[in-house]
Amino acid sequence: MDKCIACGACSDKCPQKVLNEYNEGLDKRKAAHVQYAQAVPLKYCLDKDNCLYFLKGKCRACEKFCPAGAINYEQSETQREIKVGSVILSAGFQPFDPSIYSTYSYANSPNVVTALEFERILAASGPWMGHLVRPSDEMEPRKIAFLQCVGSRDMNICDHPYCSSVCCMYAIKEAIIAKEHSHDDLDVSIYYMDMRTFGKDFERYYEKAKKLGIHFIRSRVHTVDLLPDDSIRIQYATEQGDRKTDEFDMLVLSHGLEVSDSTVELARRLDVELGDHQFIRSGSFTPVATSRSGIYVCGALNGPKDIPISVMEASAAACAAAGNLSEARGTLVQEKEIPKPMDVTGDIPRVGVFVCSCGINIAGVVDVKAVAEYAKGLPYVTYVQNNLFSCSQDAQDNLTEVIRAQGLNRIVVAACTPRTHEPLFQETLQNAGLNKYLFEMANIRNQDSWVHTDNPEKATNKAMDLVRMAVAKVSLLEPLQEIQLSVNPGAMVIGGGLAGMNAALSLAKQGYETHLVERESHLGGTARQLRVTAQGEAVGPYLEQLIAKVEAEPLIKLHMETTIKDVDGFVGNFKTTLSTKEKEDSVEHGVTIIATGASEYKPREYAYGQHPKVLTHLELDAALTTGQVDPKSTNSVVFIQCVGSREPERPYCSKVCCTHSVETAIHFKEENPDCQVVILYRDIRTYGERELLYKEARSKGVLFIRFSLDHKPIVEVDGDGLKVTVYDQILKRDLLISADVVGLASAVVSNRAEDLAQMFKVSMDDDGWFLEAHQKLRPVDFATDGVFMCGLAHYPKPIEESIAQAQAAVSRAVTILSRDEMWLSGTVAFIDQNKCVGCGVCWTVCPYQAIDQNEKGLAVVNEALCKGCGTCVASCRSGAPNLRGFTTRDVMAQIEAMM
Amino acid sequence: MNETTFQPRIAAFLCNWCSYGAADLAGVSRLQYPALIQTIRIPCTGRMSPKFILQAFRRGVDGVWVSG
Repeated sequence: MDKCIACGACSDKCPQKVLNEYNEGLDKRKAAHVQYAQAVPLKYCLDKDNCLYFLKGKCRACEKFCPAGAINYEQSETQREIKVGSVILSAGFQPFDPSIYSTYSYANSPNVVTALEFERILAASGPWMGHLVRPSDEMEPRKIAFLQCVGSRDMNICDHPYCSSVCCMYAIKEAIIAKEHSHDDLDVSIYYMDMRTFGKDFERYYEKAKKLGIHFIRSRVHTVDLLPDDSIRIQYATEQGDRKTDEFDMLVLSHGLEVSDSTVELARRLDVELGDHQFIRSGSFTPVATSRSGIYVCGALNGPKDIPISVMEASAAACAAAGNLSEARGTLVQEKEIPKPMDVTGDIPRVGVFVCSCGINIAGVVDVKAVAEYAKGLPYVTYVQNNLFSCSQDAQDNLTEVIRAQGLNRIVVAACTPRTHEPLFQETLQNAGLNKYLFEMANIRNQDSWVHTDNPEKATNKAMDLVRMAVAKVSLLEPLQEIQLSVNPGAMVIGGGLAGMNAALSLAKQGYETHLVERESHLGGTARQLRVTAQGEAVGPYLEQLIAKVEAEPLIKLHMETTIKDVDGFVGNFKTTLSTKEKEDSVEHGVTIIATGASEYKPREYAYGQHPKVLTHLELDAALTTGQVDPKSTNSVVFIQCVGSREPERPYCSKVCCTHSVETAIHFKEENPDCQVVILYRDIRTYGERELLYKEARSKGVLFIRFSLDHKPIVEVDGDGLKVTVYDQILKRDLLISADVVGLASAVVSNRAEDLAQMFKVSMDDDGWFLEAHQKLRPVDFATDGVFMCGLAHYPKPIEESIAQAQAAVSRAVTILSRDEMWLSGTVAFIDQNKCVGCGVCWTVCPYQAIDQNEKGLAVVNEALCKGCGTCVASCRSGAPNLRGFTTRDVMAQIEAMM
Repeated sequence: MNETTFQPRIAAFLCNWCSYGAADLAGVSRLQYPALIQTIRIPCTGRMSPKFILQAFRRGVDGVWVSG
């Protein structure tokens, strides 16, 4: 594998074609292949099950044509023993195979595809390069339909009663992308039972899809017929019971998630407990722990979930796994000696150009000898060499030697791409005693020889152009210094609720002193009012234990009835002023976790406040705990969902309310089976295994009646009792329900801690939730380094997700705290103070809030926060800012040298 | 394409984190495109200055592509 240069010669020459599993079998690949273009590391492999040599003992074409001698037929599976302190299971899921449904004709028509197949059809790297065509005739479809809940929420055929959590969103996404990829006005319909867009910004996306003209039809399709022209006819019943048919060019089955047999087998071998549906069993208070101590779990194996929550859980599992091992941290680290770089300031540039042949990858198209010869004539170039493989170890050793022997002070490597190989060459520069920033690559493989294969002459000319541009730039480059920052190993957690306390305890467990700041006189936050989790665990006793642990933990410094007054500093070195009634205190810390929670919306609707038994979620939970509301003496209770959520004023789903109402409804039924329990809802969003609660509620006789936004229920005080009127869409008439108790599933609303956001230089979205650096890939980081978030302050979420997020935030924070010092990149902006007029444009546009004003009102760059994007440079009318490594002069030199 | 057809020279300013990576992937996938396109890698399209575009035109390119 070390020898493979990913040239693809093996694949080119391999005679054996097999179905390409990456594209869901929609096209073919060779037996010698790379799984997908983005594979890391980018290495080809032989598929032993299909390779002719392994099947018939003959061929070996790949060996013959491999320029790097990388083919090894002897390689076989080896067993290794590794000693570890913790194990994390992240074996994921397998998509449900809908062939077992005869109803959907998946096995009989190429135009009935799974959502994953459709994803590949839409992908630029897919079988048709992203052109939307249907498989049977490769014609563009004009009308397609998505069928939801295939292999989910279904006991009859597949024994998957749970909701797969992700299908509603991916169906909407694929529908929107399909419309974008279509040349005609593609007609898209989505057939669903409940639209479950419960995540952050998901509801907005759903609304956007409706505006784009995607049809959402609430129905479960019961019959699919294949027509002679390869199109498909479906039959379904509307909510009102009318029978309808429609025809489509393609059908997409939104198939669910399931755990594979091999994963089940692995779990059994590891002796970790599985739940009823083969997902790993974990508790709400220990969301990433398995039944076996020291083994943790994350991702869809821990219940169906989407990317943001999987990524968050991954960090959480890392936190849990490292918690017990903190003493061993760093014990196996070896320090590398790097020679002090020589001072080249003021020296005339002596540029060395190394032109790589990359076997035949470059040399097969580009005349590398001519390029090398050409480079010799360029200004400041004193040495030129052509290598077969510039990245090989002997070429690196040679590079080190040549730099020293020839006294080179600027290096250009014309080869593959800087995105994979720049770090390697830079390391060699460092080893040779040269500042690593005195380096430039000319991309003559990925962006030249590989993409102009049929035009060697033009490719050679282009390679010369690229080398000329690189030489022009490198001659101007100056050595850059990477600044060293010390890191304060302490943390601050703001907010003493469930998430904040879990974060503080996890930090303490990892050995870091933590300041836990709470505004109120008590710990616990919103969780103080909650009764049970979705899994039925009592919240009160857990919270008591948690508070006791926090109070007893010597590494946690509690600051009660305290607010944040001022924040100074940045990642690794924060200085925060805390304020209480009596005094102000200054605390130094390296990282900050914001866990300031959220509040419950106080309804203005549904007779709230006019009757003591019209209660919000939290009030009803508290009343049930204290006995103020007793199910045994309640004859009728009505829950109303989406109170303040999914409204124009608050266009988001509060995520927790459906599960909470359903669980409370079950509680009423369990305590008093004769009690009439009705839930008025818009979509029931009991995602994941919470769906089982919905099922249980129905089987216990809880009535579910759907209402729409333009026909909201009416609650009136009726003597001592309450009267609820709801328009039933199936019966098409008003229903009157008398109720003793009305539970309002009131929205979770942001605390809008704008002052805090300003002090820590972090952002909030339109709804007041703290804004993560990347919704999918960095779900607990802020764009500002050293500040993290968890709990309700990020978005409404249930307890198990809040705790996982707290652990995730700690995991991310520890990546900073565990270092004694940080090295900042040399590619940062700087301001020419002589040109700056202090107009403020640069610090307004800086996405990282890395520019401050000095005492003269002029701009200064905080190098610890600067990410080197260069936006400030482009914004300034006076030309005061510049970006090291990409100065205006550097880029201009490249443009000059372009032609 | 015959020689008399207009063959534009294009200067491409590509963001290191997305489009430049995509251009690399085009290579990995062996997608073919005309050779008269020259890439300059920039750290972010935020770095893009109107001056760069004007200068590229001044140097004689027929088109400028900024992608990020």
